Amino acid sequence: MPMTTDRNTRTQEQAEDVPLRVRGLVAGYGTRKILDGVDVEVPREEIRVILGGSGSGKSTFLRNVMGLEQPWAGSVELFGKPVDWSQGRPPDDSYKRIGVLFQAGALISSLTVEQNVALPLRIHNPGLSDALLRELAWIKLKQVRMEEAGDKMPGELSGGMRKRAGLARALATDPELLFCDEPSAGLDPVTSRSLDDLLLELRETLGITMVVITHELDSIKALADKVTYLSQGKIIFEGTLDEAAHGPQEVQDFLDRTPPDGDGKDEGVMAFNLED
Amino acid sequence: MPESMLKIPEAFTPDAVSKLDAEARGLLKRGEDVHLDGSGLTRLDSLGQAFLAALHADAEHQGKRLVVHGLQSEARERLKTIPDTLAEEKPPEPPPSLFESTGAGAYTLLREWRDIALLLSESLYYSTFGRRKSKTVLRGDTVTQMIRLGSTALPIVLLLSSLIGFTLALQSGLQLSKYGAAIFLADGIGISMITEIGPLMTAVILAGRSGSAITAELATMTVQEEVAALQSMAINPLQFLVLPRFWALTVTQPLLTIASALSGIVAGLLVGLLFFDLSVAAFMNQVQQAVRLEYIWQMLVKSVTFAWLIVLIASVKGLAVRGGADAVGRATTACVVTCIFSIVLFDALFSFIFYL
Repeated sequence: MPMTTDRNTRTQEQAEDVPLRVRGLVAGYGTRKILDGVDVEVPREEIRVILGGSGSGKSTFLRNVMGLEQPWAGSVELFGKPVDWSQGRPPDDSYKRIGVLFQAGALISSLTVEQNVALPLRIHNPGLSDALLRELAWIKLKQVRMEEAGDKMPGELSGGMRKRAGLARALATDPELLFCDEPSAGLDPVTSRSLDDLLLELRETLGITMVVITHELDSIKALADKVTYLSQGKIIFEGTLDEAAHGPQEVQDFLDRTPPDGDGKDEGVMAFNLED
Repeated sequence: MPESMLKIPEAFTPDAVSKLDAEARGLLKRGEDVHLDGSGLTRLDSLGQAFLAALHADAEHQGKRLVVHGLQSEARERLKTIPDTLAEEKPPEPPPSLFESTGAGAYTLLREWRDIALLLSESLYYSTFGRRKSKTVLRGDTVTQMIRLGSTALPIVLLLSSLIGFTLALQSGLQLSKYGAAIFLADGIGISMITEIGPLMTAVILAGRSGSAITAELATMTVQEEVAALQSMAINPLQFLVLPRFWALTVTQPLLTIASALSGIVAGLLVGLLFFDLSVAAFMNQVQQAVRLEYIWQMLVKSVTFAWLIVLIASVKGLAVRGGADAVGRATTACVVTCIFSIVLFDALFSFIFYL
């Protein structure tokens, strides 16, 4: 029937406008449940920051959404296509549209920086010539201002440079959706700031949708269009930073760096017998 | 002021604390109150805090008093920051019963061998029928791995095999020459080097050398999220990491085994020439008569099987690692032990099968 066809195309288009859609995600390790029913939708060209204290399930969320681990329940759609976990990786046709920046860069240590950056293209397009791939790697490395380090091995790089190189590799396939796991963790404020600027610039010029996990306040303020706050495996807040200022107490505390009340304070102190 | 006043030293050095602790507990044991003179103490550090807290709790537990005298104001302030709860002593977990530990061990073993069998079937699948489906292997990686895992092991394989051949020839020659049958040492060396010692020596050397290298490398890659990065780029880690190593060893191990057997036989020949007055022609003739073609086949079957055991065990151990540097170390040790164990086990199995 023409009616249904029409409707299908429309939902397909709508799905395309939402690169990442997560519904009712439940996940964990062993018997420990870490995520308990998480729903997230990230529209095109948005930078979404996933917040939460340590152990709130941010990294688990990322690993499940990218298709690296199989959730217990729920569904993940990338560009409107459901992720098939039996493959242990994102759907074949969407790999080109997804880039991942891992926490420590995760460069393959037996390859040079340049080979690392060209790896995703080289592997999936055996026809491309080496000269072409080298040129492409050069362009990408220039984009992250790393062009002088192309011949180095990952082991010779500093933490910040490894992240930049990891970003160059994630960008090699011109992804539409970029996952960043703690892009500024362990970096000095200046390097961290320049990485944030780089991400913003990429969104500006290439229109990349980003899902960023971080708990660095400066990064959050610089990057976030919207934040999603995870606490004990559930989303307790979703909205802009301005809205977060009137959000739940935990979110406000997180953003104001106020330590939570209670812990350690209601306990008494040991009463010693003192004599002068 | 009580008589038995214990003097707190100027600072709570570990030595001073141990001494004071022993003295104070001695007093408590004798049922006396503990009086400490803290007038000399300038700084109450964490060790001191812990010492006082534990002593205080013990004294209260026994219905005695711990009294601190003459504390300076700074130390007094620090004393007020000690929480009134102590670290709970967790009861040690009861050791699993015999049934439990046997069951858990068997289960782990079973799962590991299932993984190894799965990896074997997948490796064979992607090398044959699945070749065209999706090819995520780096060009030339197999050759690189052949050099790294195989060729570079040649010197050590040659050296050890010829030493063993030398010893074996000398020992058996001494016995045989008593009966004037020294020429038969050629039979013994030829057959044993080709069917047993060649494959076994090569496999043990490669397990220690290449197996451990594979495990350590894959485990480190897993720990550093490199394997996850591969997956995120839609690169199958099995094809990218395991297949090149699988074929590298499958090709190089039989070659190394041949080299090992040959060097052992040459060492035997040398022994025959130098110690037992055998001629080269007689020795080689004797070897040719003794070694049947099926022995060569046995050698090749064994060496390929051992190669697969090493690669698959090493890969499974490496990719299953969770945790940090200590896990990498444990996986590497476990890899070498499991490899050598299964090599010897399969060698025994083969001897039985070929005997039939």
